[in-house]
Amino acid sequence: MNRRTFLWNYGGGLGGVALAHLLARNAAASGKGRPELNGGLHHKAKAKRVIQLFMSGAASQCDTFDYKPLLIQKGGQAWDPGEKVELFQSNPGVVMPSPWGWKQYGQCGKWVSDLLPHTAGCVDDIVFVASMMSKSNVHGPATFMQNTGFILPGFPSAGAWVSYALGSEAENLPDFVVLPDPRGMPPNGAANWSSGFLPASNQATTIRVGTPTPIHDLRPPKEEGFITDESEREGLALLDRVNRMHAADRAGDLRLDARIASYEMAARLQLSAPTVLDISGESKATREAYGLDESITADMGQRCLVARRLIERGVRFVQVWSGADNGFPRRNWDSHENLAKDHGELGKALDKPVAGLLKDLEARGLLEDTIVYWTTEFGRMPCSQGSKGRDHNPFGFTSWFAGGGFKGGTTYGATDEWSYKAVEKPVYCYDVHATLLHAMGIDHTKLTFRHNGIDRRLTDVHGVVIPEMLA
Amino acid sequence: MRAAFLVLWVLSVHAADPVSYQRNVQPILAERCQMCHNARNASGKFSAASVASLLQGGVSGPAVKPAQADASLLLQVISGEKPRMPKAGAPLSAAEVATIRRWIEEGAKDDSSGAATTQVWWSLKPLQAVQSPGLKDPWVQTPIDAFILEKLRANALAPSKPAGRRTLIRRVYQDLIGLPPTPAEVTAFVKDESPDAYAKVVDRLLASPRYGERWARHWFDVMHYGESHGYDKDKPRLNAWPYRDWVIRAFNEDKPYARFVQEQIAGDALFPADPQALVATGFLAAGPWDFVGHQELREGTVDKDLTRVLDRDDMVATTISTFTSMTAHCARCHDHKFDPIPQQDYYNLQAVFAGVDRADRPFDDDPALFRKRQALLQQKQAIQRRLDPLLDKVEFATSPAIETLDSSIQDASLLITHMGEPKTPAEAAQKKELETRRTADRAKRKQLVDAIVGPETYAEIERIKAEFAPIDEQWKALPKPRLVYAPTSYFQRAGTFRPALQPRPVTVLGRGNVRAPGKPAFAAALSCVSGLKARFDLADPNDEGSRRAALAQWITAKENMLTWRSIVNRVWQYHFGTGIVETASDFGRMGAKPSHPEMLDWLAVWFRDEAHGSLKQLHRLIVTSAVYQQASTQREDGAKVDADNRLLWRMNRTRLDAEAFRDSVLAVSGKIDLTAGGPPVQMFFFKDDHSPVYDYARFDPDSPGAYRRSIYRLIVRSVPDPFLERLDCPDPSVLTPKRSTTITAIQALAAWNNIFVLRMSEHFAELLRGRESDAAAQVREAIRLALGREATERELELYAKYAQQQGLANFCRVLFNTNEFLFVD
Repeated sequence: MNRRTFLWNYGGGLGGVALAHLLARNAAASGKGRPELNGGLHHKAKAKRVIQLFMSGAASQCDTFDYKPLLIQKGGQAWDPGEKVELFQSNPGVVMPSPWGWKQYGQCGKWVSDLLPHTAGCVDDIVFVASMMSKSNVHGPATFMQNTGFILPGFPSAGAWVSYALGSEAENLPDFVVLPDPRGMPPNGAANWSSGFLPASNQATTIRVGTPTPIHDLRPPKEEGFITDESEREGLALLDRVNRMHAADRAGDLRLDARIASYEMAARLQLSAPTVLDISGESKATREAYGLDESITADMGQRCLVARRLIERGVRFVQVWSGADNGFPRRNWDSHENLAKDHGELGKALDKPVAGLLKDLEARGLLEDTIVYWTTEFGRMPCSQGSKGRDHNPFGFTSWFAGGGFKGGTTYGATDEWSYKAVEKPVYCYDVHATLLHAMGIDHTKLTFRHNGIDRRLTDVHGVVIPEMLA
Repeated sequence: MRAAFLVLWVLSVHAADPVSYQRNVQPILAERCQMCHNARNASGKFSAASVASLLQGGVSGPAVKPAQADASLLLQVISGEKPRMPKAGAPLSAAEVATIRRWIEEGAKDDSSGAATTQVWWSLKPLQAVQSPGLKDPWVQTPIDAFILEKLRANALAPSKPAGRRTLIRRVYQDLIGLPPTPAEVTAFVKDESPDAYAKVVDRLLASPRYGERWARHWFDVMHYGESHGYDKDKPRLNAWPYRDWVIRAFNEDKPYARFVQEQIAGDALFPADPQALVATGFLAAGPWDFVGHQELREGTVDKDLTRVLDRDDMVATTISTFTSMTAHCARCHDHKFDPIPQQDYYNLQAVFAGVDRADRPFDDDPALFRKRQALLQQKQAIQRRLDPLLDKVEFATSPAIETLDSSIQDASLLITHMGEPKTPAEAAQKKELETRRTADRAKRKQLVDAIVGPETYAEIERIKAEFAPIDEQWKALPKPRLVYAPTSYFQRAGTFRPALQPRPVTVLGRGNVRAPGKPAFAAALSCVSGLKARFDLADPNDEGSRRAALAQWITAKENMLTWRSIVNRVWQYHFGTGIVETASDFGRMGAKPSHPEMLDWLAVWFRDEAHGSLKQLHRLIVTSAVYQQASTQREDGAKVDADNRLLWRMNRTRLDAEAFRDSVLAVSGKIDLTAGGPPVQMFFFKDDHSPVYDYARFDPDSPGAYRRSIYRLIVRSVPDPFLERLDCPDPSVLTPKRSTTITAIQALAAWNNIFVLRMSEHFAELLRGRESDAAAQVREAIRLALGREATERELELYAKYAQQQGLANFCRVLFNTNEFLFVD
């Protein structure tokens, strides 16, 4: 097996993943980002890493970033958008104004609701995509779509694609990390961050921040009493030795060498992971900015801070979830019944930490080449469901980007006067993903992986880079 | 694998490279032009399906004039301010037009591998009887050796020496049963001097029930078997396992391959007296299923249609790629870009499955009881088919007043659900009030609906319902049926999930869009297989079972070259690590070509005609060949000429897959529980909820059932087992013709720290202590058990010292982590 074939099989091919790291982390042959392109793959990169904030359950655009005075004017009246409205669960109710007031913020004058006052303070760093659409109005398929570009299970998530394309910058940490909501898994579970048909080396590593064993199998479980520090150290040394003896009789099989190296890397990961999760050394100002000492923001704040610490150390892609599944009592953004209460709590928990994250990244000079990408699976209807809730709206919702070469202080596209349908420059996730990859120096049409007869891409057969979103 | 690697580079056109018709131009034409301009339906007498037809043109003359882009009609109609073509959809992008322009300027060269229309692709050529090369060489032990040796000689290579007996027995055990040999079995084989010593081992393994458990796992990779629905609300699918057991038994009983295929697609229709043939259809239901889409989305919505299209897409993709290695699913949005599969063919295949949904289906093991119950089910279904339209009349009765009440009822329901258990007296009072309101609204609603529906309809409903009574009487007298999750046209209504009264109409969908229905589709197979009629002759086209039966017959026909090539190639791949065709589920133009085409055909014909579809005979032929029994040692001369070992000048060293690793650890520790079959073991902490909790960290590896082979674990789609996943166990929602094998730090951590490995290390240590008392003897025994050989002096010294200082369990942990344990020479 020659080196190139070997990299294909065991490193993942074009992205040259695990093996390239294990054997020659800086090898130019691996197909990783090119230094002359600032780490890009096909053209000059502006961003090197991503923090994705995912609002599970569908965060409402018309209660956050999509200001429509008409909803206030016509509040409580019958809703007639001029066509038959096909809703997920219900018949359309009356026009429902947001329970929150609206104000303009920043140089750009962006209207933001009173639900997210801290985030509102950062609007000049943010480009809002106000004309997002989804191909499904069901949580499962739509959450898949926003993560993987497909409404079916079994496709790699954006994080896995980025890992596949660029590998890791981190010596001793994984490429792709997911920080789920401690209340539980989102709809579709871990399949949302699947590596699909990409090699397992592009799998996400889940970190359960704030629990006694945040990373699965990082350490032997405490109750296994036969393991001591000494047995651990000596055991790894012995394993290394016998593996080398075994490999000596089998010259030319790089996989054996790679496996020997993988234990060395694992040992380094064991040392570096606890450090990255240990936030005790963070300053009082930082704790304050992320809201670590207030109970409602403590969890999200801690996870946003860990996300910053991860990308600071070279992790490529960190996904932070706000919200679990769609069950009761409500624990995500799926506010069919009582939007003021449920969005109110989630918004409050989210707002300060996210603003803290943006400001912290900026202060550390990281925002320049880090993309913060806020999204959700679809939006919510401008009319009421029942008397206090809102049903699903796949026809128009908002995502936003900050940092990493994105153009702050702008809004791309628009919904109609109701915040019902994207009418100006409507986009699916394809264009947004294409633009995200573009900022990372990746041509989305060239980042492919052959599976069952098709050269698969994150953007399927679609996707156009949106220059207006980029600085 | 080199081909796959190259493809990635070739697909991106670099400015300096010439434009390729096949790779760059043809895909654009296929997607944008060929819906109207194809060989069968040449609008304007013009087909855009080949270079020849482009040059020939249509009523307006040639479409392409080589090297004269501006004079080429094709370019004229697709470019400019308002391009005339394509008539439907957006104009071609500037990049697409530029690609076509450059291709014409560069001479409009035809580089399609024998241009789609003129030359038949290798996989679609009929199977011919091939003679094995008549080589007189003592190395040749089977016909396949002759094919291999001939090619090695042509490349000035010699085969490698045979592997030692200890290596060989470990190899063939892991390969055929996925478990290591015991020390006694190794010793017996090493000492057996009879000429058929190896053949006896092979026969014993093929007769072992463990063989079916091993090879069923390969099958499940290929056709993506899972035991939960996937998506949101990922409920466990508790009645999938009878199909799993059917596959294991089919392998163990060596069911002839044609029958194996037929039962999985249409066992219920083709062999109605055989309960197990119904169980076999679990194949079609094994993929993911969108619970919310099927059960909660409202009838008549776009999303509902989409849910059903994608559900059938899964059945089409699974069936066609598993059995024929063709990528029919690539023709959902347009004609296949590379292979002769028009979009119509794809939707015709969807029509084959248009009468079924996935649900639990009752069956009985006793054939007489089975027949009786199936007859009752048919009677019930006939009644239900008359009843359903009437029930729909009630359900969909509406008026503005009803809609107002619906809103009010829904509002109350939302608030009640959201409130949960009342926490204060005020809340309790509020809840009571809401409930009272809802009850009153429902009563009013019923009055309004009754007035619309009318008493005659209700009377009719009651009359029809009464017909169930005598059948239900008989049903109650029968013992409780078993259930299998399978395709079915009759099941209990749940929410908006209802059986189709007849196969649902299927049409071609423009660009795969449910909002753009086109020509009707009819149940049929692929039209590219010569010698077989694609369109089915069905006595009753509305009998959905006969549609599936016809497809099963088409796939298993003697003339279907794809089917026979596909299966022998898959089996070869699992024995050698790589197939004769590297892309086991893609025999199309974008797939790889066979390394040994004559041998592939010889195997396919031999398997079909001589072995009568016996997989066990095929395994025996392969594992008793000289090529299989070679050493896996690297050789300079071979590496220089053929680094990928495509010519098989040595055996490939393989890494244990996730399940084989886990099962081997269990076996070596002396803990393995070889109970076969039955309900799956939930190897995780489970808590039912809206989206159920599956937590693998909270599972004790010493729980009841935890020592069973990995094939018997419950396979969850939304939350895969992280330990197995890190060892490359594939996502059960993905069709996986071949697993990737990665080596990562996270994987090392799993093997080193996972509680399963640690507990088994302790059990292994206990077993060793029970057998031997001093450390050296314990190490010797451990190496015999784990690695199938005697310890060397050097390692004995190293290991014994460590075992003495740190305890045996720590030594066992090291042993399970060695490369020698994980790799098979």
